[in-house]
Amino acid sequence: MTSAIVEKPGALPVPEIGPPESGPATVIADHVSKWYGDVVAVSDVTFGLAPGVTGLLGPNGSGKSTLLKMLAGLLAPSAGGIRVLNQRVRGNAQVYRHLGLVPEQEHVYPFLTGREFVRLNALLQKLPNPDAATARAIATVDMEEPARRKIGGYSKGMRQRIKVAAALVHDPDVLLMDEPLNGMDPVQRAHTIQLIRTLGANGKTVLVSSHVLPEVERLAQNILVIINGKLAAAGDFRAIRDKIDAHDHAVRIRTNEPRRLAAALIALPATRAVRMESDGRLTAETNDVRAFYRAVPEIAKAEKIHLYEIFPTDESLTSVFSYLVER
Amino acid sequence: MVTSLFWRPLPILTLTVRQFLGGKAVRVVTALSLLPCVFAAIYLLNKSVATPQNFITNSIFRNLIAPTLLPVTVLILATGALGNEIEDRTLPYLTMKPVSRLRIVLAKFAGILVVSLPIILGGLVLAYLIVTRHQAGDLLRSLEAMLLAGAVEIVAFSAIFLLISLVIPRALLAGIVYTFAWESLLGRFLPGTYFVSIHHYVDAIYGHFAHDQNAINGLAHPTSLESAVITLGIVSIVALALATWRLRRMNLE
Repeated sequence: MTSAIVEKPGALPVPEIGPPESGPATVIADHVSKWYGDVVAVSDVTFGLAPGVTGLLGPNGSGKSTLLKMLAGLLAPSAGGIRVLNQRVRGNAQVYRHLGLVPEQEHVYPFLTGREFVRLNALLQKLPNPDAATARAIATVDMEEPARRKIGGYSKGMRQRIKVAAALVHDPDVLLMDEPLNGMDPVQRAHTIQLIRTLGANGKTVLVSSHVLPEVERLAQNILVIINGKLAAAGDFRAIRDKIDAHDHAVRIRTNEPRRLAAALIALPATRAVRMESDGRLTAETNDVRAFYRAVPEIAKAEKIHLYEIFPTDESLTSVFSYLVER
Repeated sequence: MVTSLFWRPLPILTLTVRQFLGGKAVRVVTALSLLPCVFAAIYLLNKSVATPQNFITNSIFRNLIAPTLLPVTVLILATGALGNEIEDRTLPYLTMKPVSRLRIVLAKFAGILVVSLPIILGGLVLAYLIVTRHQAGDLLRSLEAMLLAGAVEIVAFSAIFLLISLVIPRALLAGIVYTFAWESLLGRFLPGTYFVSIHHYVDAIYGHFAHDQNAINGLAHPTSLESAVITLGIVSIVALALATWRLRRMNLE
């Protein structure tokens, strides 16, 4: 079970991704961009997903939802193309027989019961036995009892689960999920994570967006990291982290005692060089960024040195790093 | 077996009707539709101002319901049918299905008609019964004409306002401006342009069907029953086609 990246042109200096490992890509984004006037929401994103679970990771406002909506055909890309199961999505109603979306927004018809909502989706999918499909989908998310009640009285977690049931009612081959674990309690969360993993293991292509790294770590081996609308990293989660670790990093530090701190830092095995800048800041080069970041506060504490600022100089790396290492 | 209020062949229509019946709009629409009954009751206090026929056909239908009350009432429902789903972002639950956009638009359109026709025309019938009381049977032809003209007007405005809700962000406000500026005031201040309003054709349908010479002679532009019905039919079809086209091209945030 893995997602495979077809290509990743124009990517930031982050790991290279290997070839597809589990068959042809079922979801392809080809140089996809979306902009609103001067604001670029998604910039030249290219990837392919094979069956399995892939995490779409990025901070709030990074363009995850916009990307998912384009993959779902709800938004037209400003540039580039999207294909799901080798079909265009936008304006192609038939593709939805095989594609499901769990949208981010909470609002679901409050006057319907959970069962009616799922059945509405089954009817719109023109399933031969909508009642059986409804019962199966509701059982999948463990909502048999609450499904009798109106959605207006549901908690956020229950709404999320009934949305998942509605998206699964037609047993889609491709499932897009926008922050599906939001609002769920730990038990619901564990249940849904297990459900998503099972879907992936059963050959479904599942793309799950989240801004919470540990969630994605539990869900998916493969990730897409999107930051400021750009695909910052893609591929195996651990491979990306390892490559970031292996990459030489330049870290800038502002402190009240630059000389003393420089002397302490140069003694660290992870430090390759330290130089004093004209503005009084230090720039340290390290080949083991995680060890370096762990050591700096300890040194400062031991030496009673004040640290005012510490940040990587490579902005793209900063973003990926902060998501894959610091969180 | 699941008991459900969804009629299997028409889930979007059923959903739309339930949306309306569970919302505030239907209460406002019902109150507006009963307004003629209030005026009818007031008329009973001083019947010398007009004959029952003149009051119900001219004062109530041609001057109140057709140009103002009916468009505003339909506006509230029609702009909510898809507009509310866009606003609360539930529309993807319908559009992300193997269902054509035309079917979605037609189902929403049918939902508007299912709710608006009985409420608006029911209010008209009630007002008619209050005003005519003992001579209700004598004026049946007028009632039939008003119901026919009213039904055609509801169909046309439902299609137009459904389209407006997909094109203009503040559709309710735009619809109110359209109703008062175009349908109600245009003919009064610019009689030559009156024939481009829906109200003109509704007046023509009513006048011809009721054999009401006052209404026919009052038309700014001579219009036969057939051409009035065909014109409003074409307007409705074009509006629904444009709404379908618009829904296909819409970005759903």
